[in-house]
Amino acid sequence: MRTFRTGLLIGLAVAVAVAAAAITYERYDTKTLKRTVKRDAVLCGVNTGLPGFSNPDDKGNWSGFDVDFCRAVAAAIFNDPSKVKFLPLDANQRFKELQNRKVDILSRNSTWSMSRETGYELYFPAVSYYDGEGFMVNSSRKSESALDLDGAKVCVQGETTTQLNLADYFKANNMKYDEMKFGKLEDVIKAYDEGKCDVLTADVSQLYAIRLRLTKPKDSTILPDVISKEPLAPVVRQRDDEWMMIVKWTLYAMINAEELGVTSQNIDEALKSKKPDVMRLVGTEGTYGEELGLTKDWAARIIRHVGNYGEVYERNVGARSKLGIPRGLNQLWNAGGIQYAPPIR
Amino acid sequence: MRGLRHFIWTALAATGLMLSASQSFAQKPDVGDEPGLVADDAYELDPEFRKQMVLYRTTEPPGTIIIQTSERHLYLIQGNGRAIRYGIGVGRDGFQWQGLLNITRKAEWPDWTPPPEMIQRQPYLPRFMAGGPGNPLGARALYLGTTVYRIHGTNRPDTIGTAISSGCFRLVNADVADLYDRVPVGTKVIVRQKPQL
Repeated sequence: MRTFRTGLLIGLAVAVAVAAAAITYERYDTKTLKRTVKRDAVLCGVNTGLPGFSNPDDKGNWSGFDVDFCRAVAAAIFNDPSKVKFLPLDANQRFKELQNRKVDILSRNSTWSMSRETGYELYFPAVSYYDGEGFMVNSSRKSESALDLDGAKVCVQGETTTQLNLADYFKANNMKYDEMKFGKLEDVIKAYDEGKCDVLTADVSQLYAIRLRLTKPKDSTILPDVISKEPLAPVVRQRDDEWMMIVKWTLYAMINAEELGVTSQNIDEALKSKKPDVMRLVGTEGTYGEELGLTKDWAARIIRHVGNYGEVYERNVGARSKLGIPRGLNQLWNAGGIQYAPPIR
Repeated sequence: MRGLRHFIWTALAATGLMLSASQSFAQKPDVGDEPGLVADDAYELDPEFRKQMVLYRTTEPPGTIIIQTSERHLYLIQGNGRAIRYGIGVGRDGFQWQGLLNITRKAEWPDWTPPPEMIQRQPYLPRFMAGGPGNPLGARALYLGTTVYRIHGTNRPDTIGTAISSGCFRLVNADVADLYDRVPVGTKVIVRQKPQL
């Protein structure tokens, strides 16, 4: 009798433990969408402040390219781009905070690399912005390409991949250069601004931000060449395929919308379109949204509230924004760049 | 000699201006053609429409011209993933087209004979206008195939970046002169439109 009761108790305890583990697993590992809906907001990890990408104004309203991506995910889920809570994270804590479920998405100019996916058990669903190392030169040099930089005096931040890429590039092209390296980026900028070197190298998106801070921005030109790969992408946790798919297809919907000519301005017209690929995108044909765990009009919501990829690019970092970065690699694949989204079908 | 030529141009331009002004009372030329107006060479384009070297990946060979009308950009492919990009003005709604053509002729300070359909739409336009600074075709013209369309200069630099023409592509005079010197007759020109819904 006693042994039976003990057995029963042990059995019960095991059952409770298994159930609890299952619930915990369900809650913490596989259901970001469920928790996001329950919370009524997407938790989005962003940069503490990076012009064009993520910036708070004095009232705490966030704007920028990375910010808009989280708004797009919120628009897809809630039909409301304001249902996002932004959490500024610094470079050292960002991946840990994502792992610890402090955020649902990291949209923080993070470079996708193999070791980051394997080492942190994270997943980068798709490239939102192709960045890479480039060169800013004094306009008086009349350089039209990085291949014209033989013999130049180059300012660079030391002990970085930027410095290594610089060395590789000049060596591969049989060019010589005079390196002036500094520990801090601030000192690199200062040296260039004071004319101690005629070239400054950093990631292209950074170069445009740096140029704004020079004494005479107009005297510097940023060359079109990109010499390294810095694919920036949103990041999610592994083992939540449903969530990963939502994040991935949010970006692809925006890129496809641009390719198909669907914008926040003509979305109502697009909803009446009889073109099959437009109909699949905006949800007037098929059940693509439902298969993601969202609604039929998931992509139309994104486009209406946030815009297509090109609109988001231009508004935040493009030619008419303060930064003025040409589309370059981030132009669509059929218009000079490499942005390419798999079809919705 | 130079001074005399300049004087003649100015006189011609002034005459044209008076002509177009008197005629425009009937119908205001709102489509960017202002025959007689002499281009303001000091006009500063928006940075995105200034001539510049940009990254542009394509399988088209160097020397090809690609016009992306929705961007208001003309690319001259350079190879090595780069292109020289110029700002352009393009055809207004209903006057946009796409396709593949060759440059069949090049002309400096071209004369302008607006085609009959254009006269019909804009009766205030002159029937013929000799080449010169007041000519809406500007400093150079590149004739596309056997069509009425050209890549040309302009006396209205403020229309770069807009969709206002009757289907031609206009560049500021300095840019069209630069392009003219870089491309021979026979150059392949690809015109791309934004997709239709």
